[in-house]
Formats: sequence, C-alpha cells, structure tokens
Amino acid sequence: MGSTLSCIEILTVLVSKYIRRSSDKLNRDWLILSKGHAAPALYVLLAEVGIIPREELVKIQSINSILQGHPDISIPGVDMSTGSLGQGLSFAVGIATWIKFKGGYGRVYVIMGDGEQDEGQVWEAMTDAVRRGLDNLLVIIDVNDYQLDGKTSEVKPKHYMPLIWKTVGWEVFVCDGHDIISLINSIDNALSCGRPSVIFAKTVRGRGLKPIEGTELQRVE
Amino acid sequence: MIESMRDAVGMVLSELGSELDDLVVVTADVGRATRAYMFGKKYPSRYFNVGIAEQHLISFAAGLAAVGARPVVCAFSMFLMRAWEQIRNTVGRMNLNVKMVGTHAGFSDHADGSSHQSLEDIALMRTIHNISVVVPADVKDVLRSLPVIVKDVKGPVYYRVGRDYTPSITDNYDYEYELGKAYILEEGYDIAIMSAGPVLLESLVAAKELKRLGISVAVVNLINIKPIDEVLIESMARKCGRIITVEEHAIYGGIGSAVAEVVTQKYPVPMKFIGVVGYGKSAKNVKELWNYYGLNSEAIMKASLELLKLDVNIDETN
Repeated sequence: MGSTLSCIEILTVLVSKYIRRSSDKLNRDWLILSKGHAAPALYVLLAEVGIIPREELVKIQSINSILQGHPDISIPGVDMSTGSLGQGLSFAVGIATWIKFKGGYGRVYVIMGDGEQDEGQVWEAMTDAVRRGLDNLLVIIDVNDYQLDGKTSEVKPKHYMPLIWKTVGWEVFVCDGHDIISLINSIDNALSCGRPSVIFAKTVRGRGLKPIEGTELQRVE
Repeated sequence: MIESMRDAVGMVLSELGSELDDLVVVTADVGRATRAYMFGKKYPSRYFNVGIAEQHLISFAAGLAAVGARPVVCAFSMFLMRAWEQIRNTVGRMNLNVKMVGTHAGFSDHADGSSHQSLEDIALMRTIHNISVVVPADVKDVLRSLPVIVKDVKGPVYYRVGRDYTPSITDNYDYEYELGKAYILEEGYDIAIMSAGPVLLESLVAAKELKRLGISVAVVNLINIKPIDEVLIESMARKCGRIITVEEHAIYGGIGSAVAEVVTQKYPVPMKFIGVVGYGKSAKNVKELWNYYGLNSEAIMKASLELLKLDVNIDETN
C-alpha cells in the first residue's frame, strides 16, 4: 500500500494527460509499471478511465478476479507483466527501439522504484538506451526512500543515482512526485529534450494514509 | 562454407532476412562467436548488439517482440541461462515470440572448460511453460528446422546448437521438420535409442554394431524435446520394451527425463539414461570429452546388453 500511494500522482498524470491509447502498436504510448508491486495504483487508474470495471477493484488478489497482485498482460490496459524488479526498462528499450526504427510516434513510459535501482539489469538497460538514442523513452523513478527491508539509506544508499544516470548520458530531471504541476513541468521538459530522460520524483511512502505515511508499514494495522 | 551448426544458423538467418522484414537479430557481444553477425553484415539496422548483458538481452528482445518485431536472440547457451528468470517471467509468462538460439552447448566448447559447457540448459528451459525446446542433430537438421521455427512457429523457442564439431548425421534421412515430432532414423524392435544433437551419431554407430550381434535397435532423433512426440515414444515403448536415452547434457531433467515422463505414464518399460553427471572440463576436442564422460557407442552398447538381460513387457498387438 505504501508504494502504491507514493506513485499515485505520477500514474494519475501519465494516464490522464499523456498516455495515448490505440490498437496500433507503433503509434500509441506504452506504460510499463516496472515496480509492479504498486499494481493497485495502476488498477485504480485503469478503472477511472473505464478500461477495467470498477467492481473489479475490491476483488483484487482473489482467485476469481482479473486483478493479480502484480500487473499481468491478461488485464486490459496492462502493457507488461511485471512483478520481478529490474526488467521493465529493458523491455521498454526494446519497444522504443522498434518504434523508432519503424518511424512510429509512440512513446514508452516506465515507472521504476528507487529500491529497484539495486538490480544489475538496470545498469545493462540504462547504458543501452543511451547508445540507441531513444528520445521516445521516459523513465520516472518513484523516490520514496524505502525498500522492502527498510530505508534505502540503510539498506543500500541511492543518493548517487541521478549522477550515474546523468553520467551515462540521460537527461535528468527532479520533481515533487506528489505535486501535479511539478510533475507536468518535468514531463513536458523531458519529452521535448530529444534524449532519453529520467525524472527522479521525490515522494513519501504511504502518502495520504497518515498511520503509515513516511514509514515502512504496508497497511494500517 | 557451412562447417558447423552455428554457421548454418547464421546462414539461415541472413537468408530469411530478405524475406522477413520484421526479423531482427539480437546478441550480447557474441555476434562473431554465434554467427549472428552474418545477419548483421547484411542488415545492420536490424541487428542489435547490447553488449555483455544477457539479462537485458532477453528483456530487450521481449520488448521488441511485444511491439511486433520478430527477434532471434543469439548467445552462448550457458550465458543465456543467466537470464533464466527473465526468460521465465517475461518471455514465457507473456508467451512472446522470441526465438533463443543457444550456441556452444554441451561439450562443444571443449577448450574453454566447465564454465562454458552448458549441461543443464535443456532441463532449465523445459520447465518453463509456453517455451519449446529444439535440439537439431547436425547442419541438415538446422536447415530443415530453423526456417520453420522462425517463419511459422509462433511463441518462444529455445534452440540448442554446438560450436564446431558437427558430424553429418541426418543427410541421408528424408523428413520434413515439424514442431513436436520425433523421427525414426533406424527401425528396430529389441531396443529403442532416443537422442538428439551431435551425440546422436554415437547411437547410430551403436545400433549398427548391435545389429551385427543380432540385436535389432531403433534409433530416434528427438529433435523436439518440447513439445515431445508422446505418440511415437509410447509406440516405441510398446514395440521395443526397452529404451535408452543419450544426451550431451546432465542426466537430470534433460532428454532422459523428458522421455521417462511419457514412458512411465503411458507404457512403463525399463530405461537407461546416458548423459553427464557433474561439470565438464577442458579437452583437446569434443570426442575426447564424450569418451571421458561415457557418451559413446561403447557405453550405449553396454547399456543395451544390460537392458536385454531384463524381462520386458512387449505389447504384441502393437
């Protein structure tokens, strides 16, 4: 729940303002929730825009529900089955590469976690994306300062990540991940910069649910 | 000049490149070693080298497939296994049309030793739902099967080939490749030997020797490990009553296990598994390793003679 609430504004802005949907794979946008454990945030927005029935939301994780604990492509509106961290960016690089090669106008949006930055595959993917000059690829990192075992600063510090992405060749932006205007400004700037871009969106885990806000608690006990 | 299965793979892909404009080849700094570069030279814009990054290699290819390209991944069999979880969780789970060619399989990378000799790949790939596993025996088998797999088979396939040593095995046999089929190379009724890959040669040699002793041996090319030809395996079990499997792979979870899964449930008969226990090592050639690990016609003959001592239940009506 904490991780869902930290990225809810990010997803809201993307789904309501940016993602262009179509059955044409090359001329539509792709949304990859690489931090798949924030699935409820995605499901809520898919229901909000009418892609999945609202009644499904309360059935999440039950055996008869279409909504699994992590996104699965059997769910309408889900572009990648995720849940295993570190794979979404590589998948997105593959999509963006082919769209660019075919001259499509589709863009690929990837939402990653800050804890996810620990995965070695992220390095493999971020270096390849720059080499391919993917100006149709935008990554937003939900910096909620927590990973499964506790604070990122204690488990494995991440403060150097923006510097690493920048050094590799990404255009790096920083914003307040709970401020709609801040998010929109950063996304607009990122989309017009002509390079693969990453936004470090500073967030608070469990935002809005006071008993767990800013803590590692998963839910209200 | 085609001298090996990897050469044949490179040639087939570069020929298919003109016919299939969605065909892309993806590799991880082993373009030369896997012969992927043969495609890359002809179609540089559809050839993607991601550097030494096998996990990214697989997920990247998965993304290409999801958006409509037809990716063929070429990497060393051993190091593709590094991305097992990516193969399972993205390629397999999403049932994406990614073809994965694992070269240097078995003992074929004889000089490099145990770090490079993949003896577990069939077992690892076979467990993943949606993924087919294909092990051609020689150059002719590659020429028969790879075009069909790339052009007509939808969904993920693991395609296992060796490095250099490629004796001609199936040149004189006439069959068209179809996913899921096994092929009887030699008919027989005392014992059925089932094998795939270059080591199939040893089965044919053993069958010939045993014939001289008056023992009738069937030899089956199990080119499709998954989906496996259950009908053919069951009929051989009924007819011969004894089965030997021979594989350039660990005896755990590989060809022997795949056959046994059918035999034990359809028509149980005694079996012997000939394969590897343990890791490989460096040697001056593949044959030296086959002999060292007991993957040769002598071992197959010995196993055959042991099986012949057993009373078996042959289905006379078959």
